Amino acid sequence: MSSSSPLERTVDKVLSQKESELISKIDSAYQESLRNLDSSKSKLNSEYMVIIENAKKQAENLKRQIVGSSRLSARNNQLVLIEDSVKTVFEMARKRLLSLHKEPDYEKLMKQALLNSLNEIGKTDLIIECNKTDSGLVRKLVDGINKEKGTKMVAADENVDILGGIRATSSDGTLTYDDSIDSRIERLKPLIRKNIVQILRGSERESWSQKVE
Amino acid sequence: MSESAAIEYTKVAEIKGPLIIIDGITKASFDELVEIETSDSTRRLGRVLEVGHGKAVVQVFEGTTGLAISGTKAKFLGKTMAMPVSPELLGRVFDGLGRPNDGLPDPIAEKFLDVNGEPMNPERREYPTSFIQTGVSVIDGMLTLVRGQKLPIFSGSGMPHNILAAQIARQATVVGTKEDFAVVFAAIGVQYSEAQYFKRSLEESGALRRSVLFLNLADDPAIERIITPRVALTVAEYLAFDMGMHVLAILTDMTNYEESLLEISAAREEVPGRKGYPGYLYTDLANNYERAGRIRGKNGSVTQVPILSMPADDITHPIPDLTGYITEGQIVLGRDLFRKGVYPPVNVLMSLSRLMKDGVGEGKTRSDHMEVGNQLYDAYSRAQEVRALAEIVGRSGLTGVDLKYLDAGDMFESHFLKQEKDENRGLEETLSRTWDVLSTLPEGELTKIKEKHVRQYYKETK
Repeated sequence: MSSSSPLERTVDKVLSQKESELISKIDSAYQESLRNLDSSKSKLNSEYMVIIENAKKQAENLKRQIVGSSRLSARNNQLVLIEDSVKTVFEMARKRLLSLHKEPDYEKLMKQALLNSLNEIGKTDLIIECNKTDSGLVRKLVDGINKEKGTKMVAADENVDILGGIRATSSDGTLTYDDSIDSRIERLKPLIRKNIVQILRGSERESWSQKVE
Repeated sequence: MSESAAIEYTKVAEIKGPLIIIDGITKASFDELVEIETSDSTRRLGRVLEVGHGKAVVQVFEGTTGLAISGTKAKFLGKTMAMPVSPELLGRVFDGLGRPNDGLPDPIAEKFLDVNGEPMNPERREYPTSFIQTGVSVIDGMLTLVRGQKLPIFSGSGMPHNILAAQIARQATVVGTKEDFAVVFAAIGVQYSEAQYFKRSLEESGALRRSVLFLNLADDPAIERIITPRVALTVAEYLAFDMGMHVLAILTDMTNYEESLLEISAAREEVPGRKGYPGYLYTDLANNYERAGRIRGKNGSVTQVPILSMPADDITHPIPDLTGYITEGQIVLGRDLFRKGVYPPVNVLMSLSRLMKDGVGEGKTRSDHMEVGNQLYDAYSRAQEVRALAEIVGRSGLTGVDLKYLDAGDMFESHFLKQEKDENRGLEETLSRTWDVLSTLPEGELTKIKEKHVRQYYKETK
């Protein structure tokens, strides 16, 4: 007959109690780990989403910056090119204006400029300057106006380097009326530039639409 | 644009500070533009201040240094000063007189606008009611900027008003609409390093393409400063009312502008007013500030944020004093906060946006916006009182509620007010931070907020 001793039975009992205790502890630890893992997953997921969201925002900002600055620099290059074309047009116009004195209305224009100078300065004794080509015409017109109006205008002995038109100075040198072609160009330059650019942009658009077609 | 030729005068009677007096004048008009040619053929611009008895007083924008009575010519151009305007001004940098400063050619003008502008017809003004987000919590949350408003920043020397201005310029936007937004930035009498900072900061953030910069440096002639805000506001008006854009015009530093006004006034021997400033200081400031607003029937708006440094931090100085009469509130920077390292150091207790109530709330920002703004103001004010009390009786002498206010005050400064110089906070984040601060107080203390908002947003502490 095999019968265990009370000591052995107690040991077995303690062992089985400990075993079930340990198993339940392991089980609960396992469950807790699963729970932790689950919560970590969602935490990780939300952190991952935040990182991705931030990265997207940063990428979007960077994209905006890069696109913005490239557009700006392309626009600026276009402005420089347009300005070069405007300068070329002005140069061409200046060359053509050198032969303005051959135009039939030029004498009228010069006479009007002389009369304007008398009117604007408000004095009758003026010194009139012009370029070398116009000096003969100016002398003739000055004499004519002096006879007609009783003024004391004189054509200057020395010529000035202008495209055309006149510069009138009062005899005491305190007032100057500049009605040269150069000063007219300078005065109207912003408006002329605008017109040139409109023409350039118009032709750009035309050529672009032709390409598209 | 005048098509008739201009008369050139060579008889300079006197040169007096920034003014020259031309003799023998036959034709000249008030405010007429004058081109001054020096003996070495360099040209400067000026304008007629007074005319009569055959004499004209001309204010030379680029200063009279180097001008001599003999050899100086003055050509009266028969027109007032005009700024060429077109949409291509966006992305450009100009000097204080509106001349290109970025190495690019003159702008191709769509039209030329008189820099003096025209005062807005009060009958056609539209009341400003739409929110502009600056990305700066304290401004968006408590001192909301509204489209068409004029809201100055009062600062002191050495404080970071220019950094704040650049941050606003970079971040400002109209939220939730597809309407165009632009920034016109006028730096008046700033240091070279500051001007470079403004330029670089707008370039790097990509905000330059929607901005127009006018840079008048500290070493540029002071008289040029008279024109800088005017050209900037002319461009702002064009972009707003011709192009239909919402324009934020930042003018820094208006004190430098007024100093040049004082210089001219002294040279003209006018009777001085308060602290030597001319008697028409108020009118002159109003001429600039009143160019902000909205016009009925037009899409755009001009919102102004003029920045002025108060000499010796004196808010009763004529410039901030008179500015406060004209503008719709003010944002005051506090030296105590600055010393504590808080950026932006806005002293909210001295600041106010008078139009905030009309620009926030349901359908514009969020329904609780105005209430939390008021409650935060109240809480911070109480926190300041408690801080003063704690200095005397110590923390141990304070009640539990007082201690909560003390904590709320600290959190207000560290969590809500303080932000990075490149941190752009959305409105939701700003309002969430206001609730973070308010949630440190017991619910019962939130007497300025509707119960439904408290239930919805109050954050219970665990």
